[in-house]
Amino acid sequence: MSIRAELKYKIMKDYGAPALMVLQDFKRRKPRPIPEAFGPPLESNKRLKEILSRHYFLSRYTPGVKKVAWVTSGAPVELLRAFDFYTIYPENHSALVGAKKQGADYCGIAEGSGFSQDLCSYARIDLGHMLSGKTPAGKLPKPDLLFCSNNICQTVLYWYKAIAHELNIPLIHFDAPFVTTEQTEADINYMAQQLQDMIPILERVSGRIFYLNIFEDILKRSMETSKTWGAILDAMKAQPAPMTIFDAFGHLAPIVSLRGLPVAQDYYHFLMDEIDTRVTQGIGAISDERYRLIWDNIAIWYKVRFLATFFAERKMNFVTATYTNAWAETTGYLDVKNPWTSMAKTYGQIILNNNLKHRLDLMKKMIKTYSVDGMVMHSTRSCKPYSVGQFDLRKTITADLDLPAVILDADIADERVWSEQQIHTRLEAFCETLEGSKHG
Amino acid sequence: MADLYFAGVDVGSLSTDVSIIDHSGKVLSEIVIPTGVNGSEAAEEAFGSALNLADLTREGITAITATGYGRASVAFATGKTTEISCHGVGAHQLFPRTGTVIDIGGQDSKVIQIDSHGRMLDFTMNDKCAAGTGRFLEVMANRLELDLDELSSPLNIKGESAPISSTCTVFAESEVISLLAKNTPREEIVHGLQRSIVNRIWSMVTSIGVEGEVTLTGGVAHNKGLVALLEEKLGLTLNIPENPQTVGALGGAHIARRAYQSNLESPTN
Amino acid sequence: MLRFSKHETTFNEITKNMNISIPDRSEYLKTLAQSGQKIMGVLPALYPRELLWAFDIHATEIWDPPGEILHANAHLQTTICPIVKKSLEFILKEPDIINAGYLFPHTCDSLQNLGTQVKDLIGVSLPVYTFYNPKGSFNKMTTKYYRDILQNYQLTLETIYGPLNPEKLLAACVLSHKIDSYLLAIQQARMTDHLAMNNLDYFKLMRAQEYLLPSDYLSLLEQVDILDQPSESPRARLMVSGILPPTSEILRFLDELGVGIVADDLLAGSRRIPKFPMDTPVSPLDYLTDRFFVLPPCSTRGGDLDERLHHLSKLMDASQAQGMLFDMIKFCEPELFDHRLLVKTLREKNIPVLTLETELDSHISGQDKTRIEAFTEILFEMASA
Repeated sequence: MSIRAELKYKIMKDYGAPALMVLQDFKRRKPRPIPEAFGPPLESNKRLKEILSRHYFLSRYTPGVKKVAWVTSGAPVELLRAFDFYTIYPENHSALVGAKKQGADYCGIAEGSGFSQDLCSYARIDLGHMLSGKTPAGKLPKPDLLFCSNNICQTVLYWYKAIAHELNIPLIHFDAPFVTTEQTEADINYMAQQLQDMIPILERVSGRIFYLNIFEDILKRSMETSKTWGAILDAMKAQPAPMTIFDAFGHLAPIVSLRGLPVAQDYYHFLMDEIDTRVTQGIGAISDERYRLIWDNIAIWYKVRFLATFFAERKMNFVTATYTNAWAETTGYLDVKNPWTSMAKTYGQIILNNNLKHRLDLMKKMIKTYSVDGMVMHSTRSCKPYSVGQFDLRKTITADLDLPAVILDADIADERVWSEQQIHTRLEAFCETLEGSKHG
Repeated sequence: MADLYFAGVDVGSLSTDVSIIDHSGKVLSEIVIPTGVNGSEAAEEAFGSALNLADLTREGITAITATGYGRASVAFATGKTTEISCHGVGAHQLFPRTGTVIDIGGQDSKVIQIDSHGRMLDFTMNDKCAAGTGRFLEVMANRLELDLDELSSPLNIKGESAPISSTCTVFAESEVISLLAKNTPREEIVHGLQRSIVNRIWSMVTSIGVEGEVTLTGGVAHNKGLVALLEEKLGLTLNIPENPQTVGALGGAHIARRAYQSNLESPTN
Repeated sequence: MLRFSKHETTFNEITKNMNISIPDRSEYLKTLAQSGQKIMGVLPALYPRELLWAFDIHATEIWDPPGEILHANAHLQTTICPIVKKSLEFILKEPDIINAGYLFPHTCDSLQNLGTQVKDLIGVSLPVYTFYNPKGSFNKMTTKYYRDILQNYQLTLETIYGPLNPEKLLAACVLSHKIDSYLLAIQQARMTDHLAMNNLDYFKLMRAQEYLLPSDYLSLLEQVDILDQPSESPRARLMVSGILPPTSEILRFLDELGVGIVADDLLAGSRRIPKFPMDTPVSPLDYLTDRFFVLPPCSTRGGDLDERLHHLSKLMDASQAQGMLFDMIKFCEPELFDHRLLVKTLREKNIPVLTLETELDSHISGQDKTRIEAFTEILFEMASA
């Protein structure tokens, strides 16, 4: 580790990044006028933006200071934190590219190099980034390590294998057996053992020693942060809901990619305070909330604004989503006294690694507790674990709960998979049904 | 070796093309007619016209290669070869330094890599979907109520283009409808369509790599706006044959000539 | 002799020196079910068939049942692979030939979800089982875990079918071991032209293990004639990689063109046969555990890419294949991710590569015919140069 690099990193962290924020503020054009349909925007938005910009900005000063790991959204990152890895989340980065409507460009690079157009667009965007170095974040460091878990999909394993081969760097894979009924003792032991076996490799790559007490602190912080996130989502049970799920898609970033760090913990306290205040004062995310909706599956990143406005104008607000809930749902299993087995339970049972009976029950529960009037499911080309089964989930939920529902065929980040005409027609029809069902 | 003539008959999905050459490779006649519904009739008709034009009789032709989609339906051919090999050989004859051939045909587009003798080394073809083919342009021209010539007028490549991101003909058509409904100027839509095809072709080219000079064949090579965009995207100048539609037939004729000559040289004959 | 010889379909005439016949799949299974045999429908791809045999359950595999996809479209999106869709179409018909339940081995995301979709949302009258196959790079811990999974699966079966007879399990392993040995020998003969069999028949023979009783399959393999002297080499030698063998129509077309598939890297082919001959089984669960870990590298298990490249190059060398045909199933993520590196590596070695994309419909498109023909033109040119 060079002292110069370390010094530079420290200067950038303490002075460079804050200066950048001021500059960005200055550069920022006049804020877009908020359509009337929305309530006042969250104060936290600004802080969120700062945290994320700073995270991406600082990453370029890591060489010689910190080892960089690319991590999947469902991986037990707490373990990496104990070795002070600088973590980059390709899924988060791909979502960012998608939100900037540049997904097709990056996908095109990957496709040109031989990756099929039928593959996950998060993967294609990331591979496009890896092959070209392009990023809307200015510049990102090359990873020293890859860390993935198939608890969200097998896709990440195939994808990270391709990167590991291309860049010739180590890949640590956490194999999380799919839960068909319930986790067996063998499953839990297998996962717990894998985590412990990772320590020597992580020590070697990071050049740091593992201390259990440091790890426990991180685990504690991570638990606490997830719980706060869960409480924030819970607060959306209020009528009107203090934020929309489209806001939550953005505020999700720290819990996914900065989990276990003080910055994330502090951030959610800040957000929680603001949300609490709004609930007390009866401030809603949209100015006139008449209908409450549930969202299923990952966001359609290039159409978040469009969808938010479309629904807000019709007095409809998304108050819950299976997606945002995923980083709060299983935290209850974490137990600092039994770090390994409790992590196996936490990470092994997340929604995408659990059977569809579990998902059905969870969705029904959410629909009831959040007083939901209708459901929008995004069927995404990219994500098989999230999308295979949606047709029957919809059928069952509609029948059992008498709930209007619509399925949108689209993609998370490849904007080429979007048929404006078709989606518009479906959405209009859904809104008509919803309005009819509540007043009819 | 005087009085030896060879022909290539390319029965494509949109057009049927014939090329007749003599033993030295000199082109005597070239014909392009629409294929219509019956490939074998089109082949007969085009071959007859080409013979007339060259002032030759059917018996005067030594060997005939059939190629293209309908190659199996050409009863009078003495051999058949895929249009992929034929385009490689044809492009090599016209531009000997060609290393890469891009053929944008009616039903499919292909990128072919050839060696210094015109022999095919590798190729790639568009997938089932017709986006990035001549057919795609035809469908879109209909939708825009333009004829194909209007669609190919040279455009200012720096001009505005409407975003047409879809990679599938059906999807793109519905996008065009939405754009028309929003009163987007037609030039912008045309430009957007051309960009969409070029992107499609570009990803095929990058998947196989560019070697040597690049020759563009197929009817779409007449589309000046598209050629300009493709050149810009690839960052090089394309070889454009005078008759881009008959390159496959020309290659077929040369393959017939080569096969005849190597048979003569071969000791077993 | 085969038990169900009246339902024979004879081999294509092109096959010389081969006087054996393979029963038709659906006829065979129908007769078997009528005779009271317990039959489990198993989805792709890897599972401990020997454990099922030990409980007198016949495992028949469901990869690409014929027929149009109609009802499955109400349950699955258009962007789901045809194996998953065709399997569901088959299951929805609740066919009589399956009477003991369905087994979903954990192979990919889509099959993982289909298993729970069928079990927990759609519902079928028969029991639905799952079997997890560990993923990633393997070590001692994985071995122990796999053994645990086997034991748990045995327990599940015991709760339904009563205690396992250990001798039966050993016998099943011995039978499986014999089948593997024959298949390895046949594969070897194929690579060196010691098997006078066309493409179509060769893959019919390989795929007959998906539905024949193991004893019937073994007696079929025993009849396969391995030549003492190599027969004539095909005009061009091809290796094929993917999930399933090319469709019959493509195999027939390759036969007509004179192209021989001399080696395969198919999930429904060599990827489910151990890389090398194993010792005769003594302790069944140890044997089954060992067998899983000596299967060739496979995309669906998330194995190491260098290992896979090395394995493919060994097969290509041994079979002297001149080119590689990738027969990719539309939307098959595990295969499509690895595909790019495999193609890139082969191209760097100047080995011609052709990729076809299939949706498992029996009809071969004009475009694919052109692709195949153009590809063989390259191979022939190479062979003559």
